[in-house]
This record gives sequence, C-alpha cells and structure tokens, in this order.
Amino acid sequence: MNPKEREIWRLERSTKFLVWMASKSSKNKTWLDKLCRLLVTKVTAVHPDDDFLRDPLIDEDKGFDPDELDRFQRGEQ
Amino acid sequence: MPAPVPFNPQDVVDAKYKKRKTRSGVVTKRTICQSCDIACSVVTEAKKGRVVKVRSSDNPIFKDNICMKGIIAPKGFANPNRITHPLKRVGERGSGKWERVSWEDAFADIGVRLKAIIDEHGPEAWAVSTSQWNTATDHGLGRRIMNHIGSPNWTSGVALCAGNTAAINRYTYGWFPIGDFQNTKCIVLMGHNPRRHSWTPMYTWIKQAQARGAKLIVTDPRRSSSAERADIWLPLKVGSDTAMMLGWLKVIIDEELYDKDFVRDWTIGFDELKERVDEYPLERVAKLTGCESSMIAKAARMYATEGPSIIPWTPITDMQRNSTSGIRLQSILRAICGYVDVPGGEHLQGFNPDIVNESTIEMHHVLSNEQKAKQLGADKHPAFTYRGQERFREPTKRVWGQEYANLIMGCHMTPPSSLFRAMAGEGPYPVKAFFFLGNNPMMSYANMKLIIEAMMKQDLIVTHEQFMTPSAQLADYILPADSWLERPWLMDSFGWTSTIRTSEKSMEPPGECRSTFEFWKLLAGALDRSEIVPWETIEDFYSYRLEKLGMTWDEFVNTTDVHFAPPEFRKYRKTGFATPSGKVELKSLALEELGFDPLPYFREDPPIDPNFPLLLFTGVREDGFFQTGHRHIEEMRKRHPEPLLFVSPETAELYRISEDEWVEVENELAKISIKVAIKETMPNGLIRIPHGWWKPEMKQGVGHLSGALKYADAQLCRDDEDYLDLEQGIPHLKGVPCRINKLSSRTAEVRADIKESIV
Repeated sequence: MNPKEREIWRLERSTKFLVWMASKSSKNKTWLDKLCRLLVTKVTAVHPDDDFLRDPLIDEDKGFDPDELDRFQRGEQ
Repeated sequence: MPAPVPFNPQDVVDAKYKKRKTRSGVVTKRTICQSCDIACSVVTEAKKGRVVKVRSSDNPIFKDNICMKGIIAPKGFANPNRITHPLKRVGERGSGKWERVSWEDAFADIGVRLKAIIDEHGPEAWAVSTSQWNTATDHGLGRRIMNHIGSPNWTSGVALCAGNTAAINRYTYGWFPIGDFQNTKCIVLMGHNPRRHSWTPMYTWIKQAQARGAKLIVTDPRRSSSAERADIWLPLKVGSDTAMMLGWLKVIIDEELYDKDFVRDWTIGFDELKERVDEYPLERVAKLTGCESSMIAKAARMYATEGPSIIPWTPITDMQRNSTSGIRLQSILRAICGYVDVPGGEHLQGFNPDIVNESTIEMHHVLSNEQKAKQLGADKHPAFTYRGQERFREPTKRVWGQEYANLIMGCHMTPPSSLFRAMAGEGPYPVKAFFFLGNNPMMSYANMKLIIEAMMKQDLIVTHEQFMTPSAQLADYILPADSWLERPWLMDSFGWTSTIRTSEKSMEPPGECRSTFEFWKLLAGALDRSEIVPWETIEDFYSYRLEKLGMTWDEFVNTTDVHFAPPEFRKYRKTGFATPSGKVELKSLALEELGFDPLPYFREDPPIDPNFPLLLFTGVREDGFFQTGHRHIEEMRKRHPEPLLFVSPETAELYRISEDEWVEVENELAKISIKVAIKETMPNGLIRIPHGWWKPEMKQGVGHLSGALKYADAQLCRDDEDYLDLEQGIPHLKGVPCRINKLSSRTAEVRADIKESIV
C-alpha cells in the first residue's frame, strides 16, 4: 500500500466510524447512544468567541404568542 | 415575537450557551424546515395547538442550522391572506373572480375536464410543473400518475437549479456526487456565496473547513463575502466559468498534476480531452475570463495539489449558455485529479437501500416508449429528457440496482422553454392542461411573457398553493396547500445522498389546507385510477416505504432523526461506473450518440448590441426570501422593501444614476422597474437583478399580476437559441445584455452619451 492509498484507507475508516457515531448519537436512546451524544456534543462545541454562527436575530428569538398569531390569522390585527 | 435587531453580545451568550429548559404547555417536535430547499433539521415549539417558535435542533450534528426564514415561519404561515379553502374561477381567466368550492367538487370537475382533454389531444396534452421542497409529500406521486396516464411532460425549477446538474453529472460518472466537506482540504466555490442566512449548513461547513486549514478558491465576478475570505479569488467575466475550467485543465494536464493511475485505469477519452484543452492556452483563457494567467494557473495548481478538493454544487453553472460543458468540466476536474468517491473528495452515495426510493415510486417503466418519445424538447435539447438519459438505464441497474434514477427529480424532465412554447401553440402538438404545485412558474423560468401567453391559452389550469401568487391568479382552480409545520415528511435528500431524515407534523393545517399526497390521491380517484395511489394516508404510504426496516412510520419517526447508509468508497472498483463504458467518460459516448460534441467546449457570447451594452445576471437569492416566496411576510419585506439593482460606482456614474433612485432595466424582451444600490463589490458593466420580485399587496389579475409585470426578473430572461444551452435547453441567466434607463427627460441624452463612450 503506497502512502496515498494508506491515507485514503485511514480516512475511509475514520469516516465510517464518525458516521456510526453520528448515527448512534442521533438515536440517543441506549447508554451507548448517549455516550456517543456526549462525545459528539463535546467535539462540536464551539467557544462563544469563535462561534461564527452567533446571530442576534436567531439567538434572541422569543417566538410568538399563540393568541396573537390566532388573531393575526383571522385578520384582527 | 422576533427579537429586536440591536445586538447585545451578553444576551446572545446567555440565550445560546445555556441548556434549554422544558417549558410547561410547550409541545416540541423534531422537524425539517422547508422554507427553502436546504432542509435544515430544526425543532418546533407549539402552544395551544399552534407552532409558536422554530429553533435550532438539539442534535449536535444539526446545531445552528437555522436562518431568518425558518424562525419567521409560524407567522408567515398564519398570514391572513393564506388560501385556506379551494377556489374555483368564475370570471374570465385572470379576472380575479372566484367562488369557494369543496375539494371533492373541485376534483370531480377537474377529473371530467382533464379526461376530456386527454381524450381529444392525448395524455401528452397534460403538463405539470412543481418544486418538490414546497410540496414535500409529493414523493414522486405526480410522476407516478403521469406515467400511468401517459404524459411525459413534467418540468420543474430544478431544470435550471441542481436537477440539471444531477442529470449532466451522470454523463461523466453515472451519478451526482456530494462533496465531503468534513475531510476536504480545498473547496472551490463557483459564483456561489453561502451565508449565515442563505445556504446555512453549507456556510457552516465551509467555515469549519477553513478553520481547520482547508483552502478556499472563489470564482465570482463580484467581490462576494466568500470571495473576501478566499485564498484565491478569480474575478472572472460573468458567464465565463466554463472557459476558466478549460484553463485549469490546461494547467493540470500540461504540468501532469492529475492522478495518472486513475486516469489510466478508470477513464476513457483522455487524449481527446487533452487535444480539446490544448485549444485553450492560458492567454486565450485569460482573454475569455478577464483574469490574469498567473492567477488562473495558481488556482488550478491549488485545486490539483492541495486535495482532496471539492467543487460543491453551484447554481451558477446550471444557468448558463455553456451549462452542460460547465457541469461536465466540474465532473472531469474531480475525476482526473482523483477526487471521485474518496474521503475528502466527492462521494457517490447511491440510494439508501433501506427504503423504497422516489425513483421507484415514480414507475417510469410504465410510461411507454411511444409516449416517452413525445416528450417536448427531447429532439433539440435532450440531455435531461427520457431520450438523453436512456443510455444510463442499463449501467444504472448494474451499479445502483435499478434502471431509473431520478436524482433531484432532474433526470427525466421536459425542458421548460419547449413546454411553454407548446402551451402557447408553437409546439409539435397542443398542451391544454397545466398543473403547478408549490411553484410560481410564470416567474420561475425564462421569458415570462411567453409563459403568460401559454397559460392564457390553456383549457384547464390547476394549482396547489398557499398564497395568491401571480401564477395562481391565472388558474381555474386553486387548492389550498399545507405547510411544513402541518405535515410529516420522510426526507430522502431528493435521491442525491443516501441519508434519510424525518420530520414530525407539528400542528393541524388551517381551514381546508391539504397535503400534496392528498392532492394526487384525489386526482388519481378523479381519473378513475385510484389504484395508482392505494395508500389511505401519508403515514400509511411512509410505512410502505419503510417496510424493509420492519418499522411503521410512527415507530421510525419517534426513534430517528437521521438514518445513514454505512458509507462506502471507491465502489467503482467492484462495479465500474454507471456509464455506458463503465468508466469515467471524459469524452461522453452518450452525448456523442445524441449528436452533440462529446467533449466540453466554450460557446462565446453573441456580438454586443450597442443598444444593450450592459450585462445583467439574475437568479440571486436575498436572505429574507426563497425564490418568489416570502414577499407577504412583513418582517422580511422590511429587510428587503424593494428590488435592488446592484451596480458599480463607475457604471452608476456613467449612467448618471444615484443611490435609491428608481430606474428601468430594459432589454429586447421587456423592461422592469428597480431601485439603485451602488456597490463597490460589483464590477463595471455588470448589474445584479434580484430574482422573483412581486408584491402581494398590489393589484391582482391580468395586466397587473401583483406587480410581477413591473418587477419580475423573468421578463428579462431570454430563451432564444443564442441564450439556451444546446444540450439541455436551459436559459443563460449569467450575462444577459441590457441597459439602464434613467427615468427622466434626459434618458435619450444619457443613452447617446453611453453609446458614444462604448464606441
């Protein structure tokens, strides 16, 4: 196996492992799932200073009031 | 209500980085946002049976994939102008006179009228246009009914956005790959500009890749935000992407930077490709693209040597005169550099074997060869029609297990311009019934004037819609459509990848709004063919699709956010590629058999008409809108109150126009009104026209169409042969000649000055 083949082989295995882990983490039912969830959460966590997805519009969204939406839909406001 | 815009960083930290508490009276559902076609996994929160908030997923792999269009959805779908009951036209077409009817009465009449049209003109006289992310529960059922009834005339916005890319990728290696952003070392964005509120997951992946050291190359006439953070930015002339890639290939082949083993073992046509590429020395490419030779070479070297690299799908090459060659060149670059089906490169995933895929549901085998041969446009522009894709049936069965693979719904389409010409009476046979679902066809394809004429000549127009769009205003029936908050969804990535995701229903639809599944089921019944859609409910249908997993829909959706097929790489070593030769076809046998140049080429612009000295590009998304949608949402309109023309300071000066001034943009087809926004990031001589503008508050009906006749970019988009891709017949939207008319008595004087300056 030449170095290029070895690198591809290594990446293939690591990708398969990560997909398996993401799959277990997404199920989040058994203790193994939950362990994977914990690890994936830890790995994907970003320090607030480095978080390029911070956005006040999204992060401060409070949602809507159901009665207000209802009145809006009925054309009362 | 949405948060106020002023930014307090501490509030953000508090809101985002604390664990979410379960609030009493709030019901949460795991859903997939369908406010655009990206399909982000999100969570809805409902109170009193109504969704009151859409927030980011709790699943860390989907975290933060949410944008402004997603969070505003609860209010957007509660809009008082939403159509919530079936409407039947009672006045002249487009007169705006409607009466409320029941779904059952509507379909009884639709069935009688459609059968009469089919009896008189044949099943091919019935055409359908749809955009499947809006009509998520279609799942190929529309095609299934059409195939049984005998009509091949289905088209979609995907004809010029992703679906055509998928179909053309098959000509090179038999499938449409997806870039492995997690492992790649170099990303090439061709005119594409993912942002925080547009293409959010892609933006995230690119930023993450850059953070771990991946290179970014951007080719874009504009100095976009992606260009500004790129390692190399090539500010090419609009529409010259294909020439640029020929230049890259010239460098890569001349300097032997390609993967020689892969090229030797797994490609055909390398020598012919090399000969073609030799026609494009860098000096010529520099002239065609307007970029420096040295920078072109530097980018090509970076792509070939920093890899594995990816060229993610881009809509830019989907909408050009050289679209087929452009998409083929992307495929060829991936292949000869050894980036196909390897980690960090472009992965050929195939169907997920655990579910019944949509291509199977569509049942293309039941449509007879005789009817397939009648597909409009297949004679002149066959690339993504049944005729063009026929050569891939056997190889696809060999490699992917079934003959028909309708990737991103794009592989058996009717070219839209051919369809609308036939509807307008300029085709080989009449088309007299037109259905459109979750789609605003008048404004979604080129030559809006022709499409309006085509619609006015129909005997029956039926639409499934949420709002009174300009296209809906010309319908005979408007059936009220549900929204993504109000339906479940089994999402199979449109056949592009093998990943399956689920979306729970979050609330009941308002009034009589129903799903696309119910629309098609009722139509099958109205055509006396109930057996075509035998499932009682959408949930039954999903359970049928999941039978191989031994789970019902309820069991699956309750336990599954995402279902992956275990990844496999370099599968071609066992099966070959799904092409006629079984190899990567640098020279396409299928294109050659269809009578086209089997090698990529660059078709230059027609000579400039001095009356229209500027070039425009359209097809651009604004963050608050998706396609022609979202114009009814107050919060989005506040962000984008008017359509904006982006123009460079020098061009603005030449035309004597200033910021916020209303002007006209005119070409041979039409003129539209638009407001000026002067941007340093725009090159001289090129203007940007935003896509899909109309104003729901403006007067409806023929002659008005809620402002579409005043603002819509589709009026300027040409579909004459000079402006169509030869193989696909899709329009050139990236470099259409035009001029700016200043709205004053000095227009003629300014125009004369400009002509003089160009001469």
